Amino acid sequence: MDRRTALKNLALVIGSTALLPRCTSHSSVAHFNSFDVTYDQQSLVLDMAETIIPKTATPGATDLGLDKFIWLMLDDCTKTDDQKAFFKGMGEFSDLVKKTYNKDFADCTKQEKMALLSTFEKKPGDKKDAKPANNYSKELNGFFGTVKGLTVFGYTESQYFMTKEIVYELVPGRYNAMYPVKNNMKA
Amino acid sequence: MSTNTYDAIVIGSGISGGWAAKELTEKGLKTIMLERGRDIKHVKDYVNANKAPWEFPHRGGRTVQMEKDYPVLKRDYPLNETNLDYWVNEKESPYVEIKRFDWFRGYHVGGRSLMWGRQSYRWHDVNFEENAKQGIGVDWPIRYKDLEPWYSHAEKFAGISGNRDGVPILPDGDFMPPMEMNCVEKDVAARFNAYYKDKDRHFIIGRTANITKPLPGRTNCQYRNKCWLGCPFGAYFSTQSSTLPAAMATGNLTVRPWSIVTKILYDKDTKKAKGVEVLDAQNNQTYEYYAKIVFVNASTLNSAWVLMNSATDIWPDGLGSSSGELGHNLMDHHLGVGAGGRVEGYDDKYYFGRRANGIYIPRYRNLNGEKRDYIRGFGYQGGAGRDEWGRSIPELSIGGAFKDALAEPGEWNIGMGGFGETLPYHENRCYLDKNVKDHWGLPVLAIDATCKDNEMKMRKDMAEDAKEMLEACGVKDVHVFNSEPVLGRGIHEMGTARMGRDPKTSVLNEWNQVWDAKNVFVTDGACMTSAACQNPSLTYMALTARAANHAVEELKKGNI
Ligand SMILES: Cc1cc2nc3c(=O)[nH]c(=O)nc-3n(C[C@H](O)[C@H](O)[C@H](O)COP(=O)(O)OP(=O)(O)OC[C@H]3O[C@@H](n4cnc5c(N)ncnc54)[C@H](O)[C@@H]3O)c2cc1C
Ligand code: SF4
Repeated sequence: MDRRTALKNLALVIGSTALLPRCTSHSSVAHFNSFDVTYDQQSLVLDMAETIIPKTATPGATDLGLDKFIWLMLDDCTKTDDQKAFFKGMGEFSDLVKKTYNKDFADCTKQEKMALLSTFEKKPGDKKDAKPANNYSKELNGFFGTVKGLTVFGYTESQYFMTKEIVYELVPGRYNAMYPVKNNMKA
Repeated sequence: MSTNTYDAIVIGSGISGGWAAKELTEKGLKTIMLERGRDIKHVKDYVNANKAPWEFPHRGGRTVQMEKDYPVLKRDYPLNETNLDYWVNEKESPYVEIKRFDWFRGYHVGGRSLMWGRQSYRWHDVNFEENAKQGIGVDWPIRYKDLEPWYSHAEKFAGISGNRDGVPILPDGDFMPPMEMNCVEKDVAARFNAYYKDKDRHFIIGRTANITKPLPGRTNCQYRNKCWLGCPFGAYFSTQSSTLPAAMATGNLTVRPWSIVTKILYDKDTKKAKGVEVLDAQNNQTYEYYAKIVFVNASTLNSAWVLMNSATDIWPDGLGSSSGELGHNLMDHHLGVGAGGRVEGYDDKYYFGRRANGIYIPRYRNLNGEKRDYIRGFGYQGGAGRDEWGRSIPELSIGGAFKDALAEPGEWNIGMGGFGETLPYHENRCYLDKNVKDHWGLPVLAIDATCKDNEMKMRKDMAEDAKEMLEACGVKDVHVFNSEPVLGRGIHEMGTARMGRDPKTSVLNEWNQVWDAKNVFVTDGACMTSAACQNPSLTYMALTARAANHAVEELKKGNI
């Protein structure tokens, strides 16, 4: 299957499993079991996800609908207190963007977005368990951590990633105990 | 013969109940297997077995609702989205924890044979003798030679893959070809086995009830490692894949799901059981079934429950309670302690396929004259693998380059966790709590058991040895874990109706017969007199087959 057909199939899959209420206008609010999300909030999360896993020669967060997965996980798998902290962190994030660039995240350039999100990351060469060198609140760092964690989780568990980036076989049929890496097979 | 009369009744359809049904029906006995839960049909009802990871809405994870509904199961790895229906409904079937006891149950045809981890190891004479030699509990009424032919019988039929390693403490069995170690495990094994050559420590491939060659009606393992969803190939041992079809093929088996056995009916004139009472879990009606023999295979704690709930004016504390040991001497394996670390090199090596098995280090402590500050020992299970993806190098933590890096295999790791023997303490027990009722108005079990000094001392070795051994094999950045031990978490409940030589101190005789009612056989983990440290289910299979054979011989002789 070539990449284009793959993507077409992928769109079908995503379309059919879309669990998110569709929004029709900018003012529309998505209703979840435990919270409502404004259009701006939806765009922000999608924008962040796309910055973390951008479209390159291969699909990115938007193509893969990863934002839908993030909201679903936040709705179903996150405790009320953690949801509250998430939204608090999200508010602080918007303030941070404003303070830093004097505009909304959506209006930032790709470089600005990257630069800002990088402040949540550890420095090159830092230890695995090192904390990022920022003075953000727990909620703010937590908000980024959740968006990033779910974006990456959604990406690496997506059909696209598991069938095109690595090779996932439902039924490997064999165990090869020493397989050269260049074949990029993950079973 | 009324329609409710059979030659044999089997209570429970899990690993041991399935074996009882197979053996009894193959020997010509008309048998009814009573299972409290729903039916699960082989292949057809494994609804999630063929789903890809991305087809699960939460990718296999847990929702807040699941955590609310399964307050016990959520304490460890079993709570997950992919096989949620295989775990007991905790609201319907509660129990009382006097002390924390993680009881992970499955109530349906097949019991936990559907979800089990399949590691299968024989016991050794050391395990049968230690109680007597050390004055712990009571002596096992049997020795390895009594069980040896039945181990072979069980292994050949169930299909156990393993290597004939010649480890003295871990007798080799009738194995199918072993699974392979991956390249890191092979190298670690070579270093380990050289380093500990004189110490009789061994690093071997796990012995698992996944078949590596076809058996009738079953395809060899396809390395999917999705066993606990049910296997469409029938490649691992379960009631559904193995014992049930064999029992059905005889034409002698009736399976009745939704049948909660509430008591065994004791006849004081014959001093035997005449049958059982069943509460239909769906319509709440009560039925009686009659038979010449009853096999109790409801799993360790539930078998004790059935016996205790069978109290009569003669046996006010339950059938089999004359010794005062019924419900007592509850054991498990204590775990949650071990070590892991990073393995350098092998960057160009990977493995293909998902091996549903790991490595094993059999017990080596307190053998050959060694005396630690505790008695008995432990084994380790573990394995090496490569982090799936996402080296997550800080320089590349967001953006396109990061995305590409996610598809690169990560570092090699190796880890292992101990399974420690727990001693049979009389005060570790379960009993009926008549004040708490389940969904059907039946009294529930209260469980009161903890690890004690011997286990705590052993855990220090379990942690320190793991670290030392990994470091001796060149593993880097070794980290140790040693969590608070919680009984039940080993999912190897044993004891509660132990075998013994003396009716005054044990519930069952050498043939798993209840001393107080000789036509009642308890052959699941309840019968265990000590726990050893090997995963126990293979031993239940062998004990069940042995007891079934004896039961039929005794029936023929007119002794029961
Ligand atoms: C995740 C997991 C991993 C495991 N890994 C291993 C392993 O690697 N190796 C190993 O040896 N063991 C392992 N075990 C343990 C193994 O599953 C059990 O030892 C084994 O299933 C016990 O068999 P059993 O027949 O006693 O009980 P079960 O298999 O639990 O079956 C008991 C059956 O009896 C039914 N029942 C209960 N009460 C009644 C009643 N009153 N009336 C009628 N029916 C009743 C239940 O519904 C159930 O179907 C594991 C278990 C789990 C959950
Ligand atoms: S790993 Fe083997 S036994 Fe397990 S589900 Fe796959 S094919 Fe079946």
